[in-house]
Amino acid sequence: MAAPFRSVFMTLSPGGLIRSGIAAPAGSVANARACLRSEHSSTGGRGVDESVDEYKYVERLVPPSRIPSPPKHEGSAPSGWTPPPETPPSLPYMIRRSRMHNVPVYSDIKHGNQKSTLVRKVEGDVWALNKDVKEFLQQLTGRETATQVNEVTGTVRIKGHFEKELKAWLIQRGF
Amino acid sequence: IYKSLFLLRLFSSFSGESALPSNLRLPPNLIGVPREKRAFPASTDLPVLRRCEADIPAHLAPVQTWLQSLESRHSEPLGVVDLHPDVFSVPVRLDILHAVEVWQRNFKRISYAKVKSRAEVSGGGRKPWKQKGSGRARHGSIRSPIWRGGGVAHGPRGPTSYYYMLPMKVRVQGLKIALTSKLAQDYLHIVDSLEIPTPDPHYLQDLAKHRQWGDSVLIVDVGEEFPQNILQATESLKTINIIPAIGLNVHSMLKHESLVLTLEAVKFLEKKLLWHDTRFTPLYPFKLPYSDLP
Repeated sequence: MAAPFRSVFMTLSPGGLIRSGIAAPAGSVANARACLRSEHSSTGGRGVDESVDEYKYVERLVPPSRIPSPPKHEGSAPSGWTPPPETPPSLPYMIRRSRMHNVPVYSDIKHGNQKSTLVRKVEGDVWALNKDVKEFLQQLTGRETATQVNEVTGTVRIKGHFEKELKAWLIQRGF
Repeated sequence: IYKSLFLLRLFSSFSGESALPSNLRLPPNLIGVPREKRAFPASTDLPVLRRCEADIPAHLAPVQTWLQSLESRHSEPLGVVDLHPDVFSVPVRLDILHAVEVWQRNFKRISYAKVKSRAEVSGGGRKPWKQKGSGRARHGSIRSPIWRGGGVAHGPRGPTSYYYMLPMKVRVQGLKIALTSKLAQDYLHIVDSLEIPTPDPHYLQDLAKHRQWGDSVLIVDVGEEFPQNILQATESLKTINIIPAIGLNVHSMLKHESLVLTLEAVKFLEKKLLWHDTRFTPLYPFKLPYSDLP
C-alpha cells in the first residue's frame, strides 16, 4: 500500500523544485535552453541529490486503522470510564465491550415517545440476563418492566430509558 | 459402508425383499445415513501444532481440529491445530448468510432486456381513421399497446443494474459464519501444504472419497504460486477446485461441499477477518494507505 504512495513522492522529489529554482535567475536564452535540456536529461545530470529520508514526515501523518487498547487504570478513570476486568465474571452469560471499550447499552426513541433501552453483544444464556435485568429494574422502579429478548442476535430490549443505571449495574457485575 | 447399512435397514423393515441394484449410487450426504465421524480431538492430550496469533477473549477458548496431510491416501492426521473462536465459532446467523449469498448473486447483475414502447416503434404518428363516422373503434395510432405490432406498455426498459452493497461488516460476518458452519458440520479440513505425489486427478478424487470429504471440494491457499501437481490435478476436475485465499467467498463455500484450508490460509483469513472487529470507521477509503492495514 505504501509503495505507490512512495513512487508518487519520488516524482515530486526536490530535484524538480531545485531545477525550476535555478532556471529562473539564468538571464540569457542560451542558459535557459541549457536548463531546459538538462530537465529532459537523466536525473543525476546536474548534481542533484535524491533522498527518501524526508518521507518519514509523511509517514507519521498517515493515521492508524486499528483502535488502540486503553491505558491501564486502577478503578475508574477521571472521565468515569471503567476498564473491563481481567477475568470475566462466572455467570451463564457474557457481555462483551464495544470496539471503543464501552458497555454496549444504548437508548432508543421511536416516533418521539416510544423509549427503549437496548443491551447488545450478549453471549451465552440471554434469558438468564433477562431475568437478572428484570429483577434489578423491579428493585429500582418497583414495578415490572417489559423486555424483549432476541436470541438470534443476542440482544435484550427494555421498555423505558435505563441506560445509565444498566451501565453502572453491568460494570458493578464485572462486565 | 452405506450400502451395507441400507441393506440392513431394508432387511429389517421388509422381509424377503430383493437386494439393492448394483448400479445404485448413494450420495455421501444422504439424510439418515450418518458419515463415520472421526472422534474429535480431546483438548488436553495432544500437542497443539499451531496456536492463534491474535489475542483470544478471556471467556472463549480456541476451537480445535485435526491437521491432515495430502501426501498419501491413508496418511493419519498429523496433529491438532487451534482456530480462533471469533472466526471459526461465531453464532450462526442464517439470515446474514442468506443476505450475503443473495447479494453476491445479484450485485453483479445487469439485465439487458429492453423492448420498444409505443413511442419507439416505427410509425404510428397518424390517426388511422377519423374519430366518428367510420363505424370502427376509435384509435389514435397504429402502434398503441392494444394493437398487434404495437409497443409494449410496461416492458423492461433499458439495461437495469441490480447493484447494491451490503455493509462491509455484514459481508465479513457472512464469511465468518460460513467458515463456522463448515467447521461445525465437519466439512472443514486443515492441511499443512498442498504437495501431492502425482498430478493425477484420480488420486485427489480417491483421497476425497476415502476421507469422506463429500461430492465437491474447495481447496484454498495463500499466494499466487501453487505446486504444479495440484494445479494439473484440479484443472480437469469439475468438482474439486482450487482458489487463492483472497478469492474466498460465501457462494463458493456453499457451492462446494467441503473446504480444505492450508495453515497459511488460516493465518491469512484470521488476520484479515479479525481486523474488522477492532478497526476504526474509515476516514478515507481503505484502498488508500493507512499505517497498519492487515
